[in-house]
Amino acid sequence: MSDLTQTDTPPRSFVDRALDPKALATLALIGLLLLLPLGAGGYLVYSLSLCFANAIGVLSVSVLVRYGGEVSIGHSFFVALGAYAVAILEKQAGVGLMVSLPVAALAGLVGGIVFAYPSRRLSGIYLAVSTMALALALPEILIHSEKFTGGFEGLYVALDPLPGLPKASQRYYLAFGLLVLICLALVRLRRSPQGLALLMARAHPRAAEAFGITRGWARISVFALSAMLASISGAVVAVASSAVSPNSFTLWSAIFLLVGSVVSLNGLTLVPALVGGAFLTLVPNYLAGAGDWVPVIYGAVLLGVTLAVNSASDIRRILSRGGRS
Amino acid sequence: MLKTLVGDLPPLLWSGIVSGCLYGLGALGLVMIYKSSRVVNFAHGNLAGLAAFLVYGFSSGGLANLSWGGAVATAVALVACIAVLSYALIAPIVFKSDLASTIATLGIGLVLQGAIQLVFGAEIVNLDLPIPRFGVSFAGVRITSYDLTVLAVTLLIIGSLFLVIERTRLGIAFRATSSNPFASRVCGLDLRRVHLFAWLVSAVLGLVAALLIVPTTFLSSTTVSSFMLQAFTAAVVGGFASLPGAALGGILVGIATNLFSFYVSPEFMNTFLLVVILVTLNFFPDGLLARRSGGRV
Repeated sequence: MSDLTQTDTPPRSFVDRALDPKALATLALIGLLLLLPLGAGGYLVYSLSLCFANAIGVLSVSVLVRYGGEVSIGHSFFVALGAYAVAILEKQAGVGLMVSLPVAALAGLVGGIVFAYPSRRLSGIYLAVSTMALALALPEILIHSEKFTGGFEGLYVALDPLPGLPKASQRYYLAFGLLVLICLALVRLRRSPQGLALLMARAHPRAAEAFGITRGWARISVFALSAMLASISGAVVAVASSAVSPNSFTLWSAIFLLVGSVVSLNGLTLVPALVGGAFLTLVPNYLAGAGDWVPVIYGAVLLGVTLAVNSASDIRRILSRGGRS
Repeated sequence: MLKTLVGDLPPLLWSGIVSGCLYGLGALGLVMIYKSSRVVNFAHGNLAGLAAFLVYGFSSGGLANLSWGGAVATAVALVACIAVLSYALIAPIVFKSDLASTIATLGIGLVLQGAIQLVFGAEIVNLDLPIPRFGVSFAGVRITSYDLTVLAVTLLIIGSLFLVIERTRLGIAFRATSSNPFASRVCGLDLRRVHLFAWLVSAVLGLVAALLIVPTTFLSSTTVSSFMLQAFTAAVVGGFASLPGAALGGILVGIATNLFSFYVSPEFMNTFLLVVILVTLNFFPDGLLARRSGGRV
């Protein structure tokens, strides 16, 4: 609800905006990440490419939470849709990411619409339950459509998006560029009438209906948008890790996407997305020795952050009340 | 063709009803919690799985060497503690946001799942019921002692749950809370107590369902939670807010999945359940019992 009431700061001059410390920090971060592959080792560049791809996935879940007020534990399905779209198009038609990325995005969009349609009029828990079914159905679909998906073993993605350039750095810049582009697009959406309409349909459904925005329409569009972002993330993951297999798209990976989104406080800008993506990509790497502790840690973090965020508003309210009286 | 159909169908229906009872028990636990506290408890299956492992651990010598009954009693006590603890964890946000509390239960589920793996590792074990084995054939259907146990336990549990909810003060409080939490609070009801009642009952139902379902397969860290989708589907088919609906939904889902895996393909079971959920949501958004049950809570 705060999303809707929080009004934008009045438009300022370009110089003012460029000197805003927050914007400066983001720009500095972008600059740093742009220069990083020149000096860093191959493994770091590879992990960061995956991290950017996961950050897009985290954004897709955050969009659903922020604009739709819904939670999905089935976004692994749409991530897989994008990843397999890239892999299958490469195998069957021999085309690279430049052709398959739009196809993946479209597949995610259509998939999202088809999936969200049945629960358009219902409360969010039905969506959560059906996304769980979606995540559980995915592995068996992938494994048993061997002809297209390669079954258990999955498929390789070998084609370079931009032939001729060094492999590692083009993957890195491609993932990073897409992430930045999506963040910019989300900022535009937030300021656009369409974005406001979606937020209003969530916060004040009756008022929104009076303006001709139906809740069902808003639900479907938010879910479709989110699914499309997830598919784009999947396409980038496929290219960045050069392989797709059913193991990477389970209920757990969908829950981890949600954990990433919760850890990033459902933020829709670059820094939170990177935090969520890094949490998903880097934590398992550093915790490789922790083995069975990983679900416990993720669960505790998910629980802790959710509790803290929701109680934080309480504490703040108590504090501000105390201040006023 | 028709003859094989006549021969195949009764056993399929029978075993569908038996496994459906178990899905129904799982769904009842979900619906109890959802009705009272508006939280979808995604940790339900993980807790039930842990419960089955606790019974195994206490009866096999892994944790202790108790009799089966003693192991079950200890497991019930422990599971009740975990249920209370889980509710206590999400209690601060339960009235604030359904969404946040639902996400929090996912966190609890992850922790419980991790706990199973930490304590019991990747063990794959058998956990049978201590019942005499016998079976009779009746009209082409083989009825085993296991089937009869499942039916008896389910009827007993549903019957006593019905009595508690219909006849006791706690049951009235539960019904009041599920139909209008605000008004119940105004009338002086302690909603937390009702929530705790629902969470405890749900945990015990999960344990019973887990103990009954494990003998049909084996017990590994993911066995029980893999049946969660059936329970969720049963709850959705029943309307998610109706206890009789959950029981009926369980049986329908049991029969439908049995027929599907026999006649179509056992490999696409989860996909089939996904389609059942989506079709139900589209055509019977309030569950199959919606029209008949009316305003009764």
